[in-house]
Amino acid sequence: MSKTTCASRFVPLLLLILGAFQWALAGEKLNIYTVNYPLAYFAERIGGDLATVSFPAPPDVDPAFWMPDAETIAAYQGADLVLLNGADYAKWTAKVSLPRSRLVDTSRGFKDQYIQQPSMTTHSHGPSGQHSHGGTAFTTWLDLDQAAQQAEAIAQAMTRKRPDAKAQIERNLAALKGDLLGLDARISEITHRAPGRPLLASHPVYQYLARRYGLNLTSVMWEPDEVPSESQWTELEGMLKDHPARWMIWEGQPAAKTIERLRALGVETAVFDPCANRPSTGDFLSVMNANAESLDRAFGQEFGGTQGARVVRAPTRSSSGASEP
Amino acid sequence: MIDSLYVAWRYLTYNWGRSLTLVACVTLIAVLPLALELLLGESQRQLLDRAETTPLVVGAKGSSLDLAMNSLYFGDTVPEPIPMATVARVADTGLAEPIPLYVRFKARGFPIVGTNLDYFEFRGLKIAQGRTLSMLGECVLGAGVAQALGLEPGDSLFSSPETLFDLAGVFPLKMHVAGVLAPTHGADDLAVFVDLATAWVIQGLMHGHEDVTRVTDPTLVMGRSDGNVTATAKLMQYNEITPENIGSFHDHGDPAEYPITAVIALPRDTKSGAILRGRYVGADPDTKGDAQTQQILVPGQVIEGLLANIFRIKNVLDAVILVVGTATVLALILVFALSLRLRQREIRTIFKLGCSRSTVARLLGAEIGIILAAAATLTGLLLAVVAHFDEPLVRALFIR
Repeated sequence: MSKTTCASRFVPLLLLILGAFQWALAGEKLNIYTVNYPLAYFAERIGGDLATVSFPAPPDVDPAFWMPDAETIAAYQGADLVLLNGADYAKWTAKVSLPRSRLVDTSRGFKDQYIQQPSMTTHSHGPSGQHSHGGTAFTTWLDLDQAAQQAEAIAQAMTRKRPDAKAQIERNLAALKGDLLGLDARISEITHRAPGRPLLASHPVYQYLARRYGLNLTSVMWEPDEVPSESQWTELEGMLKDHPARWMIWEGQPAAKTIERLRALGVETAVFDPCANRPSTGDFLSVMNANAESLDRAFGQEFGGTQGARVVRAPTRSSSGASEP
Repeated sequence: MIDSLYVAWRYLTYNWGRSLTLVACVTLIAVLPLALELLLGESQRQLLDRAETTPLVVGAKGSSLDLAMNSLYFGDTVPEPIPMATVARVADTGLAEPIPLYVRFKARGFPIVGTNLDYFEFRGLKIAQGRTLSMLGECVLGAGVAQALGLEPGDSLFSSPETLFDLAGVFPLKMHVAGVLAPTHGADDLAVFVDLATAWVIQGLMHGHEDVTRVTDPTLVMGRSDGNVTATAKLMQYNEITPENIGSFHDHGDPAEYPITAVIALPRDTKSGAILRGRYVGADPDTKGDAQTQQILVPGQVIEGLLANIFRIKNVLDAVILVVGTATVLALILVFALSLRLRQREIRTIFKLGCSRSTVARLLGAEIGIILAAAATLTGLLLAVVAHFDEPLVRALFIR
């Protein structure tokens, strides 16, 4: 048998073996489940082709207050990693059985910096005395520096599971952190143009955003798809006397009537989508870029002005930024 | 020979009282050491197998034996609780994977084991019927519990109140049976497994009730002030967790401070285990707090110590049995000797009938043979019974 014939026989065999090996490796993809979309996005970016990332919440729910069914819980139980947001986000995780060894609390590293919400209505019964159900603010990722830390926690957990892919994971993490911290710098630059400028928020979900970027933010409890009642308008008018805001940021596009009436009060609207659930178009980064543009308009305008463009985007789910039982 | 056996049998049945006494004496002398050997062998198997597969246990300082027995075999003596934060602290060392255990409550006499799904994986427990734990308020039964109580997935089981006289205490929780485990022939067969949070609901640390800010019954509200509603004692807490009311279950404390009885620590390797053990002797300032109030033990060593004590007792028992056995054998010889003396006339008559000395010896030998054979059969039967019930007997006698 000539050398050429021998090689021509063995090369395809070798390729076949290599292909099978690659296929076997691909079959070992990490099965990752997350409790919100930002974590899913981070895991997808960091894991790349190493991981299959699932975020099974329906698109029309707020993942913070969602309760999965038994079948979905079983899927979470079977995952290699379950990424939790921490800060009491997704309280359902405390009411189901999940394997602790596979849970990753991504915000545990900055646990001491959680923002405690002022208590809502308190009540008392039995020996435990008076207590409230006010909780921890949970939209941690709106502070993009914290988001980068959460991404690091995800990368560490993935590396523990796949130490052989450490280099790839670190590379992907560096790229993601670059994007997040770049956006962080951009928002900082925007908000520092007019430090202390009063702003309104339609819902108390922007606590970490406000702290990180020094926003002078006061929240009401309005829903984008509901026209506020007269008492809510009266409350807002009273609020504007002490807090003369000219912009109100919303989780989703508010109703046209609301926009009109706000404008009559000299308040323009901008959408800042917390992006807790998967957006219908784009991804976390594109949504956050759009959010930065909204802030750019709000902070680009001279204090006291009434003009300003509205950022119109797909409506998002409503939520309260603090955990409640 | 058959004739000799027949005559011996007739003699023994005629003197049945004496024969039964002799058979009982021989049986007891044989059964006692053999049954003890059987039970000790089984106890050694049960105790050591489980202990040796459990690398480290962290718990409150106190009796290491109580901690090991409660953590490994869900024994009745409940060690002092330690905070749930211990689990995170063990995990944070990066040296071991922690599995929390809270073994305090019972359901119809069987221990309720509060843990998480890692425990099932660690012990290799497989679901035989139904599914594993999923929601708060569910339980998975050991094979023995399911059999003893006649329960299957879909049924429910109430937790037992800790004391009958605690009228104002926590209501028993109606737990839903989610699944039944395959038999393991160990302590897990006789346990009711729940999620840690469910164990805390049983204790009353978590509870669910009607939203007091929305109740319409005025008798449920004692008073309303700015931002506070004070409920009356009439406000009922749910004693069953359903998909409809699960959202109302909440706690009023810091879960990190909630109690557990032990943490099973699974070190990454031998070196990690040694380092972790070293941290509980107070050398590491980070774990100084834990080291002061908690201990870490190697269950295998604790159980070996227990077995050493059991075997020391066994040696004493063996000596006692030897002395009693020797005395009994001597008494038996005496009984036979006296019996021969009493039967002098009878033996003389046999001679006169023409029987040889060897025939007489054969007759007496046949009597002894029948007694020994009967005793051996009885011993075999008793040992078979002991062997059949060795698992529950060992649990009742040695593991509690």
